[in-house]
Amino acid sequence: MTESAPAPLDAAASGGAPSASRARRPLGELAFAVVCAALGAYAIIGAGFIRVPPGSASVLGPRVFPYAVGVLLVAASVAVIVQVLRGHSGTPDDGEDVDPDAPTDWLTVAKLIACFVSQLFLIEWAGWPFAVTVLFGGAAWALGAKRWWTALAIGFGLGLVTQLVFGAWLGLSLPAGPLLDWIPIFHG
Amino acid sequence: MDSLTALLEGFATALQPQYLLYALFGVFVGTAVGVLPGIGPAMTVALLLPLTYSLDPTGALIVFAGIYYGGMYGGSTTSILLNTPGESASIVTALEGNRMAKAGRGAAALATAAIGSFVAGTAATIALTFLAPGIAKLAVQLGPADYFALIVVAFLTVGALLGSSVSRGLVSLGLGLLLGLVGTEVLSGQQRYTFGIPSLADGIDVVIIAVGLFAVGETLYVASRLRHGPVRVIPVTGGWRTWMTRGDWARSWRPWLRGTAIGFPIGTIPAGGADVATFLSYATERRLARGGAKAEFGRGAIEGVAGPEAANNAAAAGVLVPLLTLGLPTTATAAIIISAFQSYGIRPGPMLFENQSGLVWALIASLYIGNVMLLVLNLPLVGMWVKVLRIPRPYLYAGILAFAGLGAYALHFNVFDTLTLLLVGLIGFLMRRYGYPVAPMVVGGILGPMAEEQLRKSMAISQGDLAYLVHSPFAIIAYSTLAVIIVLGMWLKRRKARLEASAPSPDVVPEREAQPAE
Repeated sequence: MTESAPAPLDAAASGGAPSASRARRPLGELAFAVVCAALGAYAIIGAGFIRVPPGSASVLGPRVFPYAVGVLLVAASVAVIVQVLRGHSGTPDDGEDVDPDAPTDWLTVAKLIACFVSQLFLIEWAGWPFAVTVLFGGAAWALGAKRWWTALAIGFGLGLVTQLVFGAWLGLSLPAGPLLDWIPIFHG
Repeated sequence: MDSLTALLEGFATALQPQYLLYALFGVFVGTAVGVLPGIGPAMTVALLLPLTYSLDPTGALIVFAGIYYGGMYGGSTTSILLNTPGESASIVTALEGNRMAKAGRGAAALATAAIGSFVAGTAATIALTFLAPGIAKLAVQLGPADYFALIVVAFLTVGALLGSSVSRGLVSLGLGLLLGLVGTEVLSGQQRYTFGIPSLADGIDVVIIAVGLFAVGETLYVASRLRHGPVRVIPVTGGWRTWMTRGDWARSWRPWLRGTAIGFPIGTIPAGGADVATFLSYATERRLARGGAKAEFGRGAIEGVAGPEAANNAAAAGVLVPLLTLGLPTTATAAIIISAFQSYGIRPGPMLFENQSGLVWALIASLYIGNVMLLVLNLPLVGMWVKVLRIPRPYLYAGILAFAGLGAYALHFNVFDTLTLLLVGLIGFLMRRYGYPVAPMVVGGILGPMAEEQLRKSMAISQGDLAYLVHSPFAIIAYSTLAVIIVLGMWLKRRKARLEASAPSPDVVPEREAQPAE
């Protein structure tokens, strides 16, 4: 949202895009570490609410391990926070298709998440093939496919093929959906 | 002798036509998916898990063995022919192999990688054949305290050694352990962290954690910084005869053997898997190189492909030793394979060789068969793999998402799993973006419940005496080895960072920047 404060450390010597994106990062990174610490704290608090059955024979109750996990998570997250505050940011992952100089494209990420969320409703309401059509077509479009109708067509093809292979042939009960259920082969 | 007869029986099973077809299918799909950029072996296995939901256990494990080895072969093709580094295990291959391809010697690089993988895979599988039954016999005598010690070793080595910083690795491990806690606790039947949601009472399936982190998380991360424009694949020239010259053979065979010798032992101990092994092999080859070869390092030396590729595959086979004999996964891929076992109600561990010996030996036999198939498939089909490499990225990643969704939904046919998958994927995305390794999270998710079980068993035996945890010589050895491994691992990582920083290349890992002077 807001432009980050000018980074004084951004030495001209190292120059170029990487250092600029590096200087902008710590806020989000700190937030993530804080969330991890909060999850650890939640684990500790939640452990206190686990019911210990009275008169249970086991010496080590169901609370001990959760406590230990919570403490580990909090301690490690705090260590990360300290590191980040001292200027030791993490190095983002590399990959064949990752452009090391590109800034994070939140819009595309949001579109992909939206496409994935559609699965939650479409699989049971419209059927598996159509859910895949929307997920595949939408994701390909979000990622910059040249023609959206090609993406949708491929998505529909993929949906039908997976329905046939996994649903009809391998016997997984994928719902074909009201539009296809009358066709015997999809009905299983 | 004993294991030899058992192995022959395994071959008798694995050579049945339908299992041969399964093996062929496994290696083919494994290679094809492994070639796809951005998809490492862990993700390949995770994405293809649904295939096994309806196969019989033997068939499924044979498919998995094929996918496991195939994914390794495929990954090296990617790193040699694409202009950018790939998954961590083959990143050193990218250093030399990619340079060789640019210099027009791509065919030789591919050939030495494939043949080296075959040599190492076969040698390491032989070692597995003869070591595993003995280790299993020893492991039967281990008590819960010993298991707990082993799991702690796996936790700390995986958590502390993978990734760029110890604390980030431990955060990742902690997140995995937390996810592993969700569900009904075995001993007392208490629900923990389920928010009263019935779907969570059975716990979060490791498949969801793995697919979420490796498929969804990876896709979101790549999407956030996608490299646009055409895919640049380095063309491979030359036919059958020119793949490897006599000189190439002479320069390759020693690195293959050395790589195998380095990779297998490292794979068997919980020390971060293939990553460390490839790096060690690369460093060794660079040090041993003489004359012209020495000058070639950094500009495409064939030794720098042959050694690390062999080490990579030998380590992959080595990982199967603790997996099959102790039930201990030491890498993310192994964790997913364990969950495949568990979905059939089979528990890998010392009893596996007695209770399921037919299954295990068929699996091991299929590793030999798969290796031969891979050698035959890989070299002549390079043209096809190159086509796979060119799949337009939008379709590729959309397809990965679709299959991830299939894997999650097909677990229980419940969209709640799809939602969990998305949430785990989001965490995976943020972890990649902020430099957390994701593998410890998968390992934590699967080993966490085992650790708790063993710990509580030992405390029940000892009536709460903590000293019981270190009462046996085995546990003491395990904990002291842990200290050595961690110190050694730190040292190796420092060396590796230095090596990567000194690599004369703009398109490899961005080097640590010089500390600001002012």
